[in-house]
Amino acid sequence: MENINMILEQETLPLYFVDKQELDDYGRGGVGSLAGVSYEWEGEQVVHLRTRPARHAYGQVGQVLFTRDPAQAMSASVPLAVLVTEHDNGFSATVYRHGERQDNVNYIPARDELYSRNKGILELNILESKTVAIVGLGSFGSQIAIELAKAGVGHFKLLDFDRVELHNLARHTCTASELGRLKTDAIADAVLGKNPYAQVEKFPVDINKNLSLLDAVVRESDLVIVATDNNTSRFNINDALVRHGRVGIYGRAITRAEGGDVFRYRPGGPCYTCLVGNGTFSGEEEITNEASARRNGQIPAYMSAADAQTVVQVGLSADIQPLCNLMVKLALVELSRGAHSGITSLEQELVYDYYMWANRRERKYANWHALPGAGPMPTILRWYGARIERNTHCVACRSTQSTEIVADMDQGEEYARQLGDNYDGLELEVED
Amino acid sequence: MIDNDRMNAEVAVFNFNRVPQNIYRFMDMGTSKPWLAIAARTNVGNTYTLRIELDKFPNEIPKVFVTRMLTTRSGAPMSGVSASMHTLSSENGRTRICHYGSQAWNPRVTLFKIYAKCRLWLEAYEGHRATGRDLDYWLKHQA
Repeated sequence: MENINMILEQETLPLYFVDKQELDDYGRGGVGSLAGVSYEWEGEQVVHLRTRPARHAYGQVGQVLFTRDPAQAMSASVPLAVLVTEHDNGFSATVYRHGERQDNVNYIPARDELYSRNKGILELNILESKTVAIVGLGSFGSQIAIELAKAGVGHFKLLDFDRVELHNLARHTCTASELGRLKTDAIADAVLGKNPYAQVEKFPVDINKNLSLLDAVVRESDLVIVATDNNTSRFNINDALVRHGRVGIYGRAITRAEGGDVFRYRPGGPCYTCLVGNGTFSGEEEITNEASARRNGQIPAYMSAADAQTVVQVGLSADIQPLCNLMVKLALVELSRGAHSGITSLEQELVYDYYMWANRRERKYANWHALPGAGPMPTILRWYGARIERNTHCVACRSTQSTEIVADMDQGEEYARQLGDNYDGLELEVED
Repeated sequence: MIDNDRMNAEVAVFNFNRVPQNIYRFMDMGTSKPWLAIAARTNVGNTYTLRIELDKFPNEIPKVFVTRMLTTRSGAPMSGVSASMHTLSSENGRTRICHYGSQAWNPRVTLFKIYAKCRLWLEAYEGHRATGRDLDYWLKHQA
């Protein structure tokens, strides 16, 4: 008796995929036959036929001949051939295996067809022309990059100096087969997998040590996704956003992703330092990686490895999804602003500078109401938006002179009272 | 890195808090490694010079050193990381003071406030020298 897999294998016809853009390029190119590459997913009856090697190969690699000559394509001595035929509306492909015509030829859509399903909701031509910088390609940045690629954003600048590590996998888009790769390389591939026509620039650098590069990246971008894991980088990005008048979307989770928040900077509005410096914003945040947290000072240098492990508390991937989702929506609203697209109505909904979200009624949210019957009281799994007042004397975004910055600075009056005046006769002796 | 606007604002805050201009000096401004030298005197009259590194200030917590290697009551150099003594790893033979934690830091924090906290650290240090108690006895930990 035949087993089920054998029956299925006999009854499943191979599926062939030909890249429409490559087909058009070959058809218009005027060259003769072309030795291409086939990639076959072993045992899955799926074959991709490419005119040029994929940057990262997948499946079992073989050869395929692209030709306009029917006799050549139908030759029994040619193991795999694609016959390219011109029609009024472009080129089509017919696949032959040892001269036998194959059915089930599918096309990987050409550029103008790739995101046709988004039409009516998003203005694709506008998104295609936009440049988004994503700083930090961890569990937040990786997902947001891919979502924006799926939406049709055309240009990406990816910044992160980390590599894919085992502890990333539970929440990151990368898979175990990508362990050790630079996140910029891995996410660039993921973006190009969704949108092969996207322009992707990679910067595997620590932006806190490359502020001039950060400045240039922000200047050349329409919008910056701030998905880093420390405030120093957020403050540095904030400075560049203010300097160049660019939109920034910040997001983070707090301990074990029991909640999180999203902040949007728009030129002329409150900046990240207006938010953090006003004393109402919690500095607590999720620590997902001991080495990174030590580097950023979130784990003090004197804390033992054992104690540090108790501080590293990572939440669920599902708990950061809502945060990533709002960041993507805010980004799409900002990138599409004024374009009268299907998401224009969100401009009237997503009007806040700062958004809070709680996943569980724990610690910081322990006193919030249970979801059933919460009514107008704060509860979990709902967004709460707030307008933040811009600080006109803010040390980061002020348009005033230094004498007015002083009004915003923490002048330490209480400390001054404690210290008293103890300066009489004191002189500076500089030993360096 | 600190810019001229910020430096002028810091001077204004020092003035506001009646810190005389002869006890501090901005050093190596315009280079990649600017720093502030500032003198401090404790209540018992001992004087110290502090070095506050400004290359990443105000977006990052600046490193603060006493410009020499301090020793504990038992004579050991205060060169390493210590939670109870509120020190971080020394550099170039200078004791490094742990003064701010990342959660409490934002760019509004002034050099005067750092200076004031380090003055309190020096008082605690002298308390340690006098009693043998760790600095933890007097100082709270920063988040």
